[in-house]
Amino acid sequence: MAKRFQTRFWAHVAILSTLVGSLQSVQAQAVTYRIDPVHSFIVFRVKHLNTGFAYGRFNSFTGTMVVDERNPANSSIELEIDANSVDTGNSQRDDHLRNPDFFNARQFPKITFKSTRVRKISNNTVEVQGNLTMRGVTRPITVRVEFTGKGRNQRGQEIIGFETTFTIRRSQFNINYGLNVALAD
Amino acid sequence: MSVVIESTLTAGLAALAAGVFWLLGWRLRRAHIWLAPLGVSVGFAVLFWRVQGRPDFPPLDATHWAFWHALFALPLGWLAGIGASYRWVWVWGALLGALWLLVPPLYPLMQSGYWSNMAGVAYIMAFALATWLLMTLSAPVGDEAGAAVPFLLATVGGISAGVLFYGAKSASLAQLSGTLGGTIGLGVVFGLALRRFHLGRGAIALTVFLFMSLWTTALGFANLTLGQLTLLYLLAFAPALRLLPALKRQSPAIRFALPLVILILVGGTVVWLQYNAYMAQGVN
Repeated sequence: MAKRFQTRFWAHVAILSTLVGSLQSVQAQAVTYRIDPVHSFIVFRVKHLNTGFAYGRFNSFTGTMVVDERNPANSSIELEIDANSVDTGNSQRDDHLRNPDFFNARQFPKITFKSTRVRKISNNTVEVQGNLTMRGVTRPITVRVEFTGKGRNQRGQEIIGFETTFTIRRSQFNINYGLNVALAD
Repeated sequence: MSVVIESTLTAGLAALAAGVFWLLGWRLRRAHIWLAPLGVSVGFAVLFWRVQGRPDFPPLDATHWAFWHALFALPLGWLAGIGASYRWVWVWGALLGALWLLVPPLYPLMQSGYWSNMAGVAYIMAFALATWLLMTLSAPVGDEAGAAVPFLLATVGGISAGVLFYGAKSASLAQLSGTLGGTIGLGVVFGLALRRFHLGRGAIALTVFLFMSLWTTALGFANLTLGQLTLLYLLAFAPALRLLPALKRQSPAIRFALPLVILILVGGTVVWLQYNAYMAQGVN
């Protein structure tokens, strides 16, 4: 099985991600999927100099998702992103993002998300609460996750897809450089 | 607010904070050894706060130790002005202080696995020794009155900003370093306008310590290479060249010009090369 999970951090820092994985185990009605980084995407955007948006993505991440369709409250997700894998299509900018002005990736090489609660909103939507940890700071966030499809891949494995878009303020994670001067919050 | 206005305001506030203490120290001669380093300390603290926001304690982010260095290293600045008969206290205090102060910001690199324990200990010991050497050899130049010493030190700050921005790819560390140099540059104005104004041993010792704090941070957490750090470190000795017996016998113009030429030729060339390499790869 594979799952697709798309996330967008909006406000001034925006991240869009798509995650795909394969079936690992089935316990009762809960199914565990491993996120497939090849078919998953975590994309972000941030406003630059109060003009246009700069976009980027993280190329390396791992994680698992437990999906219980009958009882969504039993569902969960854990995600670990390699902060060093940030990719904005410009190596100079990527180096800058990895250093202490932004992710400080040598001290904090991982960005993680761990869900604490999943609640069904509608047939295709759940609300996921969890803790996002970035640059050593953990903050609770709540996101709406939309089911985007289910099927089988070329190997016959079950796949499932989700997408979400949400906004965070980087200042809440101690990323303060150039706040509201060069880059938005 | 535009980047230029924001940066200018930051530099102005830092210089103002430092300048108040330096002026007081100039007027109150007996308090000079206390007030001059305090000016550097407060000026840098204001600068850091403006650039990075309010620092927590102990800082979760190791790079924020630079703020606390400005405060915790202040006693080293005070010790630097101690009388000649007790100068051994300053020499040993500077060594132990440098070692003690460099551990907290660099230890997290061992915790995160970026440095092995062996490499981390070796780096910290080497940096502490190098910082101690720079502080103790540079401090006496602070006794020289006039604008030459602050001008040379401000030039070191400018070169450092260029290397940290184009080489280490860190805008914040470059701004901290460059504005620290700019703050010291206020000493040029005072040196020209005020009779017998001098920064003092403590202010010089604390300033070069803060430069080393920023450079080691840039090596550990940003993209500064060991070669670039070594170059900046050696250039920081330029003001102290004035103390060499061969230069002491020369005219004031030569004593000023020779270190400046070295700084501009070597430092300027390196910054120029790094600027070109940076632009060739595309601007972010």
